[in-house]
Amino acid sequence: MKTYILTRILLTIPMVLIILTIIFFVLRILPGNPVLAMLGPKAPPEVVKSMEHQMGLDKPIIVQYGDYLADIGRGNFGTSAYTSVPVIQELMQKFPATLELTIFAMAIAVLIGIFFGTYAAYHFGGPLDVAARVYSIFVYSFPVFWFGIMLQLVFGVWFHWLPVSGRSAPFMIPNHIYTGLYVIDSILNLQWGVLADTLRHLVLPSVALGVVISSIFVRMVRSNVLLSLSSQYVVASRARGVKEKRVLFKHALKNAMAPILTIMGLEFALLLAGAVLTETTFSWPGIGNYLVTRIGYRDFPAIQGAIVFFALFVAIVSILVDIINAWVDPRVRY
Amino acid sequence: MGKYGNQMISSRIGHGLRQLLGDSSGIMAFIGLLLLLFFIFMAIFAPFISPYSPVKPSGAPLLSPQWGHLMGTNNLGYDVFSRFIWGSRMAIIIAIIATSIAAIVGIPTGLFVGYVGGVTDRIVTMIMDSVYTFPGLILAIAIAAMLGPGVLNISLSIAVVYIPTYYRVIRSQVSTIKSELYVEGARSIGAKDMTIIGKYILPNVLPSTIVVLSMNIADAVMTEAGLSFLGLGIAPPVPDWGYDLAKGQQFLLQNDWWMVVFPGLAIILIVLGFSMFAEGLDEYLNPNIGEKR
Repeated sequence: MKTYILTRILLTIPMVLIILTIIFFVLRILPGNPVLAMLGPKAPPEVVKSMEHQMGLDKPIIVQYGDYLADIGRGNFGTSAYTSVPVIQELMQKFPATLELTIFAMAIAVLIGIFFGTYAAYHFGGPLDVAARVYSIFVYSFPVFWFGIMLQLVFGVWFHWLPVSGRSAPFMIPNHIYTGLYVIDSILNLQWGVLADTLRHLVLPSVALGVVISSIFVRMVRSNVLLSLSSQYVVASRARGVKEKRVLFKHALKNAMAPILTIMGLEFALLLAGAVLTETTFSWPGIGNYLVTRIGYRDFPAIQGAIVFFALFVAIVSILVDIINAWVDPRVRY
Repeated sequence: MGKYGNQMISSRIGHGLRQLLGDSSGIMAFIGLLLLLFFIFMAIFAPFISPYSPVKPSGAPLLSPQWGHLMGTNNLGYDVFSRFIWGSRMAIIIAIIATSIAAIVGIPTGLFVGYVGGVTDRIVTMIMDSVYTFPGLILAIAIAAMLGPGVLNISLSIAVVYIPTYYRVIRSQVSTIKSELYVEGARSIGAKDMTIIGKYILPNVLPSTIVVLSMNIADAVMTEAGLSFLGLGIAPPVPDWGYDLAKGQQFLLQNDWWMVVFPGLAIILIVLGFSMFAEGLDEYLNPNIGEKR
């Protein structure tokens, strides 16, 4: 297991380096000069020069590239041109919001996938099966921002049941921030009102993102469970008189889980892209929202920092998912 | 997982449709084609069928749907129905340019790298895989933010995301085909590499390329809508569904739903149309390599 984890991490390093290099070249070599992008085309040349010097953009490109990689290695993402705060500090402050949203969205997607998919497979060809298939076709063609807006319209504007934007109502923030995840922090602080408020704010964005992502899980679970329902061990356990529910969830689903875990890892990139759109739709104060806002302010160090952060985040999650996968299914390790 | 990569939205939709309709892929392709023709018709004849100008006020602002303004008017008094029609033009133009760029870069790269193999193959594949696993929209956002607005710039940002998709499909097929007997035969009678690639390999990968192309258009429409929703699309007031959605959201709290419902429906229908068409085409062109479920 240790060797597996080590190999997996070593294999990820070149991939991360490649994507970091691509990000560097996209942000440096493309026609838009970052300083001109920040200051506007009419900025006086001396100001441009001094800004370029300050950001190290007057050095040879190879030196810049080396500095860039070294800075990322040291966790130095530069200073925001808009707030003058170190970018890493801003990112760490925004990150829990994104993490909380993605965890809940993933949980919703997986739950819908497992239950809908398993029952659809069990009732193969029946109305529930047809419903699952229709669901996974149409829901996936929803743009997540449009679906989010529809949820806002129905549950926020028409029924007034749930808040449509932000992460919490004014002053409804946990007293002590331990993890930055408000759900956990409010429980640790025993602030039940804050917990309720946090959950109320989480519902619409995580449902929007979770439902759109869930369609692939419904389909994957369905076809995997179908496959294992026809296998020998399911027939054998039925012959032994094991209860149907147990056959379905203990035997069939459990063996169908390994490919689902792999998909979860791959889905994560899609989930993050969706999170950028969802955060913008719901004014959710996470990294996606930060990225889009700072693009509006032409805050170049912040833009670069956020994109690099996403790259590192995807890499770490893919390693984690693979490790969990190897732990659940020993066949993966060999 | 779709055989053209799990990241392609359209491929997944298509697979789901195939599951739903069983072997009646003809019906699916037909419905897809109808949807496509509907949007292409709107895009081409927009000046003739749109009741008003999409970029000029044609009535009082924020009118709800009614006779004369079938989908209401927006905050500036522009007719939403006219913008719905004209929006198809932008969506299709950008999607086609983006897809063409991605194909022009991705297909030859896949052909040559797959044919050459060896170290080149490993290196290029690793680069392509890195891009492929990175969230596509975020990469497109970075490029679009640097390039600024404009049809060509947006198309380029979207194209970069889909180059690996072409590369992967083509490369994996080429590396199988190149060890086929007829390729060996061509080589043994002294055919040049270029001849082998052009005459023996390319015709065999072309059918799946056409399918990927039309799936890719659906994905490009979705990505373009996302970019313009985030304010990184073409400059207003050019009619664009994603942009209109973002603008319409500002009036959601006063229950002016028509500005968000209709552009969203347009995106959904056009994405469904291209996906269904692509899947039907796949069944038709590649009957033996299709994943039967």
